[in-house]
Amino acid sequence: MQGNKEIKIFLILLTAIILTSILGQVIAFGGFEVQVKKHIIKIIFGLMILFGISRVDIRFWKSFAYLIYALNLFCLLLVSLLGATKLGAQRWIDFYFFSFQPSEFMKLSLVFAIASYYSDLSEYELNQLKIHMFPFFLTIVPAFIILRQPDLGTAMLLSGVGIGMIFLAGFPTKAFIWSVVGFLGICPIGWHFLRDYQKNRILNFIDPGRDPLGTGYHILQSRIAIGSGHVFGKGLFQGTQSSLNFLPEKHTDFIFTTISEELGFVGSAFIIFLFAGLIYFFFYIRSGSKFSCHLCFGLGLMLFLHMFINIGMVLGILPVVGVPLPFLSYGGSSLITFMISCGLVMSILLKVRA
Amino acid sequence: MLEDRDLKKLLSFRKNFVLILIGVLCLVLIGNLYILQVRHAHKYRLMSDRNRIRVLPIVPKRGRIISSDGKVLAFCDYKHRIVMDRCPINVFKENIEILDKYLNFTKEEKGNLLNFRKRRQSSITIKDELTRDEFVKVSMNLFRLRGVHILNTFSRRYSKPFEFSHLLGYTAKNANEFQVLTGKTGLELFFDKKLGGNIGNIQKEVNAAGYNIRIIDQEDPVNGEDLKLTINSEIQEFVYNLLSKHKVGACCVLDMKGNIIALVSFPGYDINSMSLGISHAQWNELNSNQYKPLLNRFSSSVYPPGSVFKIVTAYAALCEGIVSPKDRILCLGGIKQDDRTFHCWYRAGHGRLNIYEALSYSCDCYFFQIAKKLGIQKLDKYARELGFGLKTGIELPNERSGLMPNKEWKLIHRNGYWKTYETIIAGIGQGYVLASLIQIASMMGKIYSNNLNYSPSLLPRDQAEPAIPLKKEASDVVKRALHMVCEMGTARGSCHTVYGIAGKTGSSQVRSIKEKEVGINQQLIEWKSRDHALFTGVAPVNSPKYIVAVIVEHGGGGSSVAAPIARKIFDKLLEKDAG
Repeated sequence: MQGNKEIKIFLILLTAIILTSILGQVIAFGGFEVQVKKHIIKIIFGLMILFGISRVDIRFWKSFAYLIYALNLFCLLLVSLLGATKLGAQRWIDFYFFSFQPSEFMKLSLVFAIASYYSDLSEYELNQLKIHMFPFFLTIVPAFIILRQPDLGTAMLLSGVGIGMIFLAGFPTKAFIWSVVGFLGICPIGWHFLRDYQKNRILNFIDPGRDPLGTGYHILQSRIAIGSGHVFGKGLFQGTQSSLNFLPEKHTDFIFTTISEELGFVGSAFIIFLFAGLIYFFFYIRSGSKFSCHLCFGLGLMLFLHMFINIGMVLGILPVVGVPLPFLSYGGSSLITFMISCGLVMSILLKVRA
Repeated sequence: MLEDRDLKKLLSFRKNFVLILIGVLCLVLIGNLYILQVRHAHKYRLMSDRNRIRVLPIVPKRGRIISSDGKVLAFCDYKHRIVMDRCPINVFKENIEILDKYLNFTKEEKGNLLNFRKRRQSSITIKDELTRDEFVKVSMNLFRLRGVHILNTFSRRYSKPFEFSHLLGYTAKNANEFQVLTGKTGLELFFDKKLGGNIGNIQKEVNAAGYNIRIIDQEDPVNGEDLKLTINSEIQEFVYNLLSKHKVGACCVLDMKGNIIALVSFPGYDINSMSLGISHAQWNELNSNQYKPLLNRFSSSVYPPGSVFKIVTAYAALCEGIVSPKDRILCLGGIKQDDRTFHCWYRAGHGRLNIYEALSYSCDCYFFQIAKKLGIQKLDKYARELGFGLKTGIELPNERSGLMPNKEWKLIHRNGYWKTYETIIAGIGQGYVLASLIQIASMMGKIYSNNLNYSPSLLPRDQAEPAIPLKKEASDVVKRALHMVCEMGTARGSCHTVYGIAGKTGSSQVRSIKEKEVGINQQLIEWKSRDHALFTGVAPVNSPKYIVAVIVEHGGGGSSVAAPIARKIFDKLLEKDAG
């Protein structure tokens, strides 16, 4: 059966990524340390959520899409307002055993909301510009709040996912081109709204040698680590850049660099192909409903943007923004977000098979 | 309004467009990876090694300088210095704050350190030459400091800074990060390579924070060699003390093999403080001092030799057969040449003199006449044989060759033909003739060792150079005449001794004398305008052992000022030999 084969491929890809993830953490911590065990526990927890969600009918999410979005936006506002007064630059709400980061789940909520919105529209309505205004606002409001947190990376991601989905839903071509031109025109004005360190990051991205020991340090050290890896890498646990702490955040945002240094061009290209395969899969699921189609597009875009921004950042072709690498970076929130996305895809696949 | 079919087409097109875009962007990532990891991999491998390996210098110990009587004149003190690798400003400030507790920086020092940081050197010296207390405190807390290393260093010390200042010279630490001691003048500069040795290094693996992980490799430095001189420190001190009674002077003492026993220029300066580094104001003061203490007066400054040069004129005339010892020449107090009158220093005239008397009384007229007969070309030839106008080859930097003029020289450098009166004044060592003190001493050495190859040296010689003898008849006459100078001539007042000295006084003019000033007491005129007082001599006369040459700048008469100094030096030397 068609569906069975797809599920098999999906599970193989997922297993490969999870194994890579564990390997990556072993490399980053220099052995099978306590933190690696914690990471594995988080993966197991994530997989439980994945299978749980795959059992839920996809239409369930459609009916609750706006509610989820509204609740999430409320939490986001709460964190931002409290953050401004009490919590410093904190971006999460602490529960006893679990810290909830609204901006992380906002990506999922946004995908739900936009997918739900477009699935209700009739096809000829799509040609009207004003129809697309609502999802645009759905995107821009949380993005702006997150930008002020300040979290440039997540804000960019959110806008990317939203705009991508609107584009895929059939936003008029001419208007889209004009919007792009207009956006490029506004960019210089937007510059003034950025904080100093954000400006620095962008300037350093343009010229990493600008201040090799200051803010450009991370990019340069990351490039040195990746470059010194050669074709086959320095060998397992032989990476001097990571073991001597020249790399910042070697187990979270810079996990790709850490792996790349020890496994070389072969290993890092393999990781990119793995992600490319998964993303391709997200786009080519044959799904019954319009909702699940839009949902898959959104999730695929999200996965791609995370991967592209993260790897682009460590390679020095994009500015340094705190975007984790899906599945591979150490840390719970991001892992669970992507496990949920995979769970949703799984649920669509199961439905197709049935 | 689009048809349904068109919309489906559009959406499918959009999906493919996005997918292709994603594919292209993935290829961009892989392309970048390829450039980093395959194309430029070697460059980044190198950078990663440079990141983790810190190469630190190990400074070699500079060789000592030892006098012939075994006194250590220059040596090195083992010290420590603190250096800091280039690091971000916050780490830099953190380190300085910790170090401040132990080193107590002044505000100015802190400002300087911040300025040094801006020079973008790979490391900067935080403090040179730690005291013992500071060293212990800092090294105990080194684990708290990032990118901070304690390195060895040496400070140069001199046991007798003033007496040996021009001879030894001084050192400075070179400005680069290695801070090796380098010679700046004197023997320190001349033998810089031999004394300096070779720098070693230590390779340490450090982590990103700059903490030391382990030592990878070490290459030991090669210490500099010691330098043993012919100088006798006791004599050197003695001579310095003698000269210190005058304002400015110099003296060299040689033996018959050419070994330099003492080489003094007065006033000296403190080479200890020079090696530590002196302030701008102190440097300016040394430079603007009217006695010019930085000037080396035995080999790097030249004077008109004056009457001392008459030895050369006499020797040349005897060799050429222009005069014989018996010939007498009339001195009437002056001669006329080219519409000018050239006076003898004794206006009344010496009467008829033979060559012994002429040298004894230093009669100018006699030498005017024989110089005129000789001509400048022959005078020049013999003067060069005796070392005038040529460097002696002493082991010191910036030796000056002085000047022995001749016709060609005049044509090239003064753009004119040689005039006879210029020969006349050259015959008594005035005019264009210039010589350094070491040249004058070396001229005496050549005559008394009967060897034209005689040359002064600061290092003990393994073997004597082959001798080129002088013309015996001529040199015997000159030697006898020089003995007479001290027995009955110009130097009789101070150099009449039991063991016997042979020498020549000289009072060289530093400007032309005006008619009204003739015979005026030198003590009454301005210091700057007084004659230079010279004396050069050997003793004991029967078996010469030592040569002394003295100059007292603007001292007045050679017989009254310079000769007594030489006498005291000879006394001291012979007394020391006698035990």
